[in-house]
Amino acid sequence: MKKKILFLALLCPLWVLAGNPGFGDRRYSISGLVEYSYNPTWGHHANFDVQSLLPVNPYLEMEARLQFSTANVHTGVVQVRPKFELPVGELFLETDVLCKLVARSRMTDMDVALALGYRMDYVSVTLGVFSRVMSDWDRDWHTTDSYMVEPFNLLYRLEVFGRPQNNPWNISFLFSNVDDYQIERMWQPLFALGAWYDIDDHWRINAGVQCKPTGMFHLDATFYGITARAGFSYRF
Amino acid sequence: MKKTIYYIAMALVLAACANEESTLDMKGMFSPNGETVNARFEQSMAYNEFAGEIHMNMGTDDYTVYVCTDSHITRKTHRNLDYFMAQYSAAEGPKLALHLGDIIDAQKNFPCADSILHTGRTKADTIFTTPGNHDIYFKQWPIYREFFKTGIYWFDTQNNGKKLDLYICLDTAEGTPGTKQFQWLRELLAKKSTEGYRRIIVFTHTHFWKLDASQGHTSNYSLEDTYELAGLFAQYGVDYVWTGHQHARQSVIYKGVNYLVLDATKDEEKGQAYMIVNMGESAIYRYINYPTLD
Repeated sequence: MKKKILFLALLCPLWVLAGNPGFGDRRYSISGLVEYSYNPTWGHHANFDVQSLLPVNPYLEMEARLQFSTANVHTGVVQVRPKFELPVGELFLETDVLCKLVARSRMTDMDVALALGYRMDYVSVTLGVFSRVMSDWDRDWHTTDSYMVEPFNLLYRLEVFGRPQNNPWNISFLFSNVDDYQIERMWQPLFALGAWYDIDDHWRINAGVQCKPTGMFHLDATFYGITARAGFSYRF
Repeated sequence: MKKTIYYIAMALVLAACANEESTLDMKGMFSPNGETVNARFEQSMAYNEFAGEIHMNMGTDDYTVYVCTDSHITRKTHRNLDYFMAQYSAAEGPKLALHLGDIIDAQKNFPCADSILHTGRTKADTIFTTPGNHDIYFKQWPIYREFFKTGIYWFDTQNNGKKLDLYICLDTAEGTPGTKQFQWLRELLAKKSTEGYRRIIVFTHTHFWKLDASQGHTSNYSLEDTYELAGLFAQYGVDYVWTGHQHARQSVIYKGVNYLVLDATKDEEKGQAYMIVNMGESAIYRYINYPTLD
């Protein structure tokens, strides 16, 4: 039975997809995005994203995301989100499982996060914790040092929108240590600008740019990385 | 009007933070503290080229390494660093010493640090340092250079021509090695890992892993840097990575590399200790607590 549930959970994201259709307008959807990204460590690279959204019922939705990168780092994310409508806004509990195959460094980074969030028309706030396990691909029977566990870390996300989230177009500003494909350590914030525009009832254009500084909490901040993304969503 | 008041208040706070006794350079949260790591790399390489390579002839296969970090000295308080240097000076046999950064707190303390450490990065030196984030606050990198000359370099120990151990010093004072230092490190490890060294030791300021709550107040690398450096160290057979920054000891092995984090040497801090490593056929390390005043 457990295997069947796991199989279904893994299969669902393959046909039920989405970008981020927005609070108040959550429909089955699938998205494809292309990213240009640069950081001093991996240099210039491109990422190809597929995202999906499955609103199971008014109280539960799931998301799944896949990213393939020319930097030879590939990521899969499954997100389960129970939610509760409040007189003003919506409360949600977010559970993330993120698996990053860092093939270029021969290791896997597996993160599990649990967060509580609250969103209204113009703002969305999430606060939670996550654990990380990095595992070595080159382990053998006699190896005892194959895992690096970072058991406790803080997750935060603040997103502010220019328009109500069910508006046909919107812009947003994000301050967080997580995005769709990474869960950074708490002292490594990300800043992002996002936008969407609904072409018609089904098609939506998504675009965004993200900046990652480093050393902010070393009190010696420098620019580290940038990612620009654009793509389409189809909402059923 | 509100905005104006806000900006003035922020300016006053930042200005207040920047007096001579301040230990934190809050402006650095939003912009670099002077030269970035790529600029510091260029300056360090220019000095290295001028000074030439350092090969320390220990005259034997066995020698001792004294390691301390995060002394955060000021002109008023440097008891632990004095003690460390006294122990190091009194030790017999072939030896060298490493300071893993955050030598000073606040400003205008490098002359005092230099008078304790007595290093001018000459070929006769046996004391080696790496810059920490506090060392470059308030645009102090040029002063660091004045006393310690370089932040990115390598040296090795030998026994009358026989290669023993390779030491690589990285500048991670701002939490990233930067493009140029990464390239240099890749090329250096690719070359040196084939030269038959007994051990390869990397020492730098910023620690790599966030294993427990002891690191609550200290940041480390981006994930990309963490993956890449861990992969690089494993690929080229680095044996030890010695770091500081988090002020709490830690020892962990990942991908065959032993990551050691040291306690701080800062006065008046809980759990002050330094490390002594006996380098021989095996490397045996132990932490030594600093004496307390009471």
